[in-house]
Amino acid sequence: MAKKDVTKPISLDPRGGRPREKCVTGIEGIDRILNGGIPVGNIVLLAGTVGSGKTTLAMEFLINGAKGGETCCYISVTEPSSKMLSNLQTYGFFDDSLVKEGKLNIFDLTVINDRLGVERLDGTYTAKDMEALLGAFEDIVDELGVTRLVIDSITAVCYQLPDKGSIRNFIFRLSQFLSTFGCTTMLISETIVDSNVQTYSIFGVEEAVADGVFLMGNIVRQGDLLRSLQVIKMRGAKHSRARHLIELTPVGLAVIPLLKWGQDGGQAFT
Amino acid sequence: MSIADIAKSVIKSINDGDTLATVTLPASNFHEGTVKLATVLLGKKLGGIYITTSRPSSHIITELEEAKANLSDLYFVDLVSMTVGGNTDDARTLFIESPTMLESILLNITLLERRLKSKRIFVIFDSINGLSIYSTPMVLKEFINVLGNSMRIKSIYTMLMTVEEQTDDDLAAALELLSDTMIGT
Repeated sequence: MAKKDVTKPISLDPRGGRPREKCVTGIEGIDRILNGGIPVGNIVLLAGTVGSGKTTLAMEFLINGAKGGETCCYISVTEPSSKMLSNLQTYGFFDDSLVKEGKLNIFDLTVINDRLGVERLDGTYTAKDMEALLGAFEDIVDELGVTRLVIDSITAVCYQLPDKGSIRNFIFRLSQFLSTFGCTTMLISETIVDSNVQTYSIFGVEEAVADGVFLMGNIVRQGDLLRSLQVIKMRGAKHSRARHLIELTPVGLAVIPLLKWGQDGGQAFT
Repeated sequence: MSIADIAKSVIKSINDGDTLATVTLPASNFHEGTVKLATVLLGKKLGGIYITTSRPSSHIITELEEAKANLSDLYFVDLVSMTVGGNTDDARTLFIESPTMLESILLNITLLERRLKSKRIFVIFDSINGLSIYSTPMVLKEFINVLGNSMRIKSIYTMLMTVEEQTDDDLAAALELLSDTMIGT
């Protein structure tokens, strides 16, 4: 009988295995939470209430990628790209040349819709429109070689889809080709708080299809609002599930663990 | 203990390799003593981060200038000025909106640490009692624990300044448990 090898050390990593290639966000603290970054090709739902910092986080994710030489793309659904660009100028971490050099591309969904001829008066996409829109997204990612994409917001797109089945199908198809292209994506989800419970999405479908979910919100501490972030899931990565504070600093967003006693005890999560 | 003796104890503590010291001063000369300590350490070519929870940083800068302290490698984290509507325009100060935002202190220390030129750094926390006005004892104790251990990991010599008359037994015990040395008691 062979002797058991007692000299081989036992791995202390409860998950083991080989890590996936990571897309480093470059945001202070987030890569640490994600054990190196978001697995390349993952679709992450960035779910949060108003003012929780979703767009800023998504923008810094793109800008950091563009600064590293990647081609990044932001699809604006809820506001004109010109307004988005004006807002970007207020961030110290933004650099105009990224847009001029084509490293950071900003598109209006309304313009895409116009070109595709899919804008409907009743605001609802048909199955054919959905196909055309998915095709347009695929063309953008493929032709520009986009490796980081943000759709702000997926909620606004979902409002134009007829039912939950269509939403599931749309996000699933989107994730399939983005994953094939190795494009790491953030879908911004606008959420609400009902009876102190925050949902991950309005339709309750997006979080099931997405590979990862970041939950962002506002914590009330003695009347002051603190922005919080928690990674709920991330397929293909070990990650922290602790709640963190997120703050805009002169060098960009920074994330730090939230004090445990400073988040409960009558403090609402809004 | 006189302020001069406390300053000597702090220097000895740094030379002994400590990272976390609780420094207790009586209310009567608390501000004078704290400014004196910062001046002594700056004179020893240490870079510093001064966290103020009890008075605006502009006020402390004036006192340090009067004490002829070398301010070339000193930065401030100010939790007072924004709360009281004071001056919040100073190149060497990061202002925090509210003293309840304790985690922001740790974030700002990390930011300022990168700006400091000196290899040896100190943090002076003026004062722990100032925070107790806005935070419950549990939050405060948790914060002290997180702050102390964060500084220990970074090997930044940190002085937690406390006012003798305002520090109850519970808070004193928490500080003693965490600190490498207790000075001034």
